[in-house]
Amino acid sequence: MNLHLSSNKLVLIIFNLLILLFSTIALSDEAIDDKVKKITSNLRCMTCQNQTIYDSDADFSKNIRQIVRQKLIDNQSEKEIINFLVARYGEYIVFTPQFNRRNIFLWIFPFLIFALSFVFFIFRLKKNPTKQ
Amino acid sequence: MISLIGFSGLILSFIFNVIVIVSYYYKINQRFNHIFYLALYCSLFFMCLSFFALMFAYISSDFSNFNVFQNSHSSKPLLYKITGTWGNHEGSMLLWLLIMSLYNVFFSFNITLEDHVRKLTIVFQSFLYLCFSLFVILTSNPFLVNSIDSNEGLGLNPILQDPALAIHPPVLYIGYVGFSLILSLALAGLILNQLDNLWIQVIKRWAMFCWLMLTGGIALGSYWAYYELGWGGWWFWDPVENVSLMPWITGLALVHSLMITKQEQLLKRWVVFLSILCFSLSILGTFLVRSGILTSVHSFAADASRGIFILILFLTITGFSFIIFILKSPHSNKQINLLFINKTSALIINNIVMLIACITILLGTIYPIIIEVLTNKRMSVGAPYYNSTVLPILLPGFLIMSIAPMLSWQSNKLDKIKNYIYILIVTSILTLLITYLTKFNIWGFTGTILGLWIIAASLLSILHNCLKYKFKKFFIYNNALIAHMGVGIMIIGITFSSIFQTKNNFTIQTGEIVNSGQYSLQLKNLKIEEKNNFQELLGIFLLHKKNEFLTTIKSSKRYYYVSKVITTEAGIYHDWFQDFYLVLGNEKNNKWSITIYHNPLVSFIWIGVMIMIFSGMVGIFKR
Repeated sequence: MNLHLSSNKLVLIIFNLLILLFSTIALSDEAIDDKVKKITSNLRCMTCQNQTIYDSDADFSKNIRQIVRQKLIDNQSEKEIINFLVARYGEYIVFTPQFNRRNIFLWIFPFLIFALSFVFFIFRLKKNPTKQ
Repeated sequence: MISLIGFSGLILSFIFNVIVIVSYYYKINQRFNHIFYLALYCSLFFMCLSFFALMFAYISSDFSNFNVFQNSHSSKPLLYKITGTWGNHEGSMLLWLLIMSLYNVFFSFNITLEDHVRKLTIVFQSFLYLCFSLFVILTSNPFLVNSIDSNEGLGLNPILQDPALAIHPPVLYIGYVGFSLILSLALAGLILNQLDNLWIQVIKRWAMFCWLMLTGGIALGSYWAYYELGWGGWWFWDPVENVSLMPWITGLALVHSLMITKQEQLLKRWVVFLSILCFSLSILGTFLVRSGILTSVHSFAADASRGIFILILFLTITGFSFIIFILKSPHSNKQINLLFINKTSALIINNIVMLIACITILLGTIYPIIIEVLTNKRMSVGAPYYNSTVLPILLPGFLIMSIAPMLSWQSNKLDKIKNYIYILIVTSILTLLITYLTKFNIWGFTGTILGLWIIAASLLSILHNCLKYKFKKFFIYNNALIAHMGVGIMIIGITFSSIFQTKNNFTIQTGEIVNSGQYSLQLKNLKIEEKNNFQELLGIFLLHKKNEFLTTIKSSKRYYYVSKVITTEAGIYHDWFQDFYLVLGNEKNNKWSITIYHNPLVSFIWIGVMIMIFSGMVGIFKR
């Protein structure tokens, strides 16, 4: 009986925790400011030297920050905004290379050689059995 | 006149290096032995003459020299006239030659190595010198005569007029160029088949020295970027930064590999390979930066002579070195004993990880160039790419670093494992507490826990050593562990300053107070000061923390008359645990926009670097 009760309690606790988790996810809609920061940190200020639009104080950057904010208020998604800016200024404006067929090598290669050398290392270990 | 002396010095130094090489090949006669060393010292003498001639031209503002005319101005402070010598492409290449020559002469005083190995190393170094000397004479001559008669120059880029950046190039170059000596040593050792203990002992010291200088140079550059650019950060994954990071990483791998070769007498091929790679990457970096190809393929095409010359140098030197490497590298009959986990295999894993990180950085740096050539479209590979590729790849390396002290050299038995496990658990709980109290972030958590693990494990190991050796030669026994503690401290600094940085924008009037976190900031007054070569708008701010007066911060904007450029000078209040970083913006309706950054634990980065350099120095001098 006692055991039964405690498992009931456990279910209740888990249930509560799940509710808590889901509600935080639902409520964690970032404030517009945070979203603007996230998007503009990934954009290049075209009139500066290797500076992000988020960090830059140039007129160009202020302008783009305004555009991004406006589009967020208009309920556009991050992807839509990025696509709009890429169409307008070219791919040069985004610091993160887009994940497409042309850039697949850029993204995959480091992890590929990482995996390969890991496998190679394991095989070398087998060839030299542990000796004390 | 002074240009003529300088140019003659350059040519004479070239000729004397030819004599060094020639006299080596006619060594049958004993008399040539003296000529060999005499020619070597003469070449350094004339190189110095050439370099100081250029420096003198800068100090005396001799605008009949085209290089001085283009890069200097008579109103510049004396310090920046001196450092202006290497503040431009031609002058910095002359510095490159001077350092190359200095390395050659200092190395010739080394008596540890056998005579014939030392001589062949000097010959290779002279050969490398000839290559770069030819480059300077043919494409980057700093002694060209100004065709127009002018009594005023065009001025030095204002953001370069800064104490940290004045000494940054020489320190960086002592690192970069030093790898040429490592290459020469590797080639001489290979050809004479003399990769013995003496050779390892010698190359270890020189490699450590070069690598430390490179570390110092990069740190200076990054500290400069932190306070001069006014962007709040200190590392931007700029291509120019990446280019310096590549030889740094391979140098790091080299320094560590030389540690195992001492213990195991193996892996010589790997050490030689890394030695060649370090200088190859230095030249490749020089090519990428100096050819202008990074800015755009088109600006490269506009003036390709320099770029193509360095590219040919790169291909020749690298190609030649690797051919010798393939032909002559020693085939060890003893297989390396890879145990599941001991210090040797941990170091090998770390080497692999570092090399992959280096390849990734190289790929990211040249990928936009390849794409532009192929498709004529420009793209960017920026910080987010490196953060999501290089950092995860480096993670296992850091993980191994944290357990390294408990591994042993010979067996895969773990030493005094209990203590280490306790201390790792304690630090983990500590980290969880810290993350519980601050904002949770997966990278923040990982960085903190790794940093703390590394520090804790190293500390415990130092404690074990102290119990064993009773503080005898404390730094000698523990210098590697101390260096690793420095890395741990740096990791924590990097993590906190990049992840938990906050940025706030305000507009402020004279006398007004703004609040930012626990701090409150008052704009006391604004004044304009006239300096010799710039006009400065100085904002004087009073910083209070919880109503307690802390300090006055000066943040300013400078207008340089000659180059008509405005620079920002960030005002920084350094605390041990937080930097308060203030940038003065523009004015609108009598209100000034200011940006305030809180950079937590940024000082840990510089402290960590200093600890690393200090213990590296101990490593050079210990026997």
